[in-house]
Amino acid sequence: MPQLVPFYFVNEITFTFVIITLMVYILSKYILPRFVRLFLSRTFISKLSDISKK
Amino acid sequence: MSTLSFNNISTEVLSPLNQFEIRDLLSIDALGNLHISITNIGFYLTIGAFFFLVINLLSINYNRLVSNSWSISQESLYATIHSIVTSQINPRNGQIYFPFIYTLFIFILINNLIGMVPYSFASTSHFVVTFALSFTIVLGATILGFQKHGLEFFSLLVPAGCPLALLPLLVLIEFISYLARNISLGLRLAANILSGHMLLHILAGFTYNIMTSGIIFFFLGLIPLAFIIAFSGLELGIAFIQAQVFVVLTSGYIKDALDLH
Repeated sequence: MPQLVPFYFVNEITFTFVIITLMVYILSKYILPRFVRLFLSRTFISKLSDISKK
Repeated sequence: MSTLSFNNISTEVLSPLNQFEIRDLLSIDALGNLHISITNIGFYLTIGAFFFLVINLLSINYNRLVSNSWSISQESLYATIHSIVTSQINPRNGQIYFPFIYTLFIFILINNLIGMVPYSFASTSHFVVTFALSFTIVLGATILGFQKHGLEFFSLLVPAGCPLALLPLLVLIEFISYLARNISLGLRLAANILSGHMLLHILAGFTYNIMTSGIIFFFLGLIPLAFIIAFSGLELGIAFIQAQVFVVLTSGYIKDALDLH
C-alpha cells in the first residue's frame, strides 16, 4: 500500500502544514476581511435606505 | 506494476493502489534524511492552494456590492461555513476560529475534487496527511481546553450524573473515546476517498476488458459504464460531504474544549 511507505511521511506532512499555514495567513489577512467589508457595506446601505424611507 | 508475458503477449497488471504511489518530480537531498523533494503529492497540494487563490482573484468582482456569478459562489461558501461555525462552536466566541475552519474546508474540498480529475492524484487518500490534520486538531483542542479551564478540563471525561461506583470505568471509556477522535477523524476522510477511487479503478478496468472483447460486448459494457458514471457522481458528493463532516467534527471538538459539558 503506497500510503504506508514511511520514506515520504516527512515530505507529505511538511507540504501539508506549509500549505495550510500559508492558506490560513492569506485567507485571514486578505480574502476573508473582504467578505466582512462587503457584508457590512450591504448592511449599512440597507439601513440607510430604511432611514431615508422613514 | 508487474508485467506478465505469455507467448510474446505482454499484459500489464495494474494494481488499483498504483494511483496513490508517491513519486519524486524533482529530487532535493539538501537536508539529508528529511527528503524534502518536490513529489507528486506536494505538487498537487500546491496546485490546489494556487487554484483556490485564482478562483478568489476571479471572484473579486471589483469590490462591487452586487454579486456576479463568480462572487456569489464564494459568498455562499462563506455563509455555509459561517453557519457551521456559529451553530457548532458558539455564535459569539466561535468567530475567532472561522478562518481556520474555512481554510480546512477549502483545503480538503479542493484536494478531494482534484483527486476526482482522471489521471490526477488524490492527496486526501493519504493517511499521513489526514492523520497529521486530525492529530493536530485534537491536540490543539486539548491545549485550548487546558488553557481555558485548567485542570477542570478533566471533567470532560466525567459524564454528568453518573454513579460513583461506575466512575472509574466511565472515565476510562471516555478517555479512550477522546483518544479515538484522533484516529477516527483522519481515518474517515482518507478511507472514504481511498475506497471510492479504488472502486472506480476496479470498475473501469472491468468495463474496459468487457468493451474490448467484441462488438456485442462493447454494447454490453455500456451497463457497467453507466454504473461508473453514477459512482463518479456519488464520489463528487462524497468529496463535499467528507469536507463538511471533517469541519463539523472539528468545530464540535473545539466546542467541547471551550464549553466542556
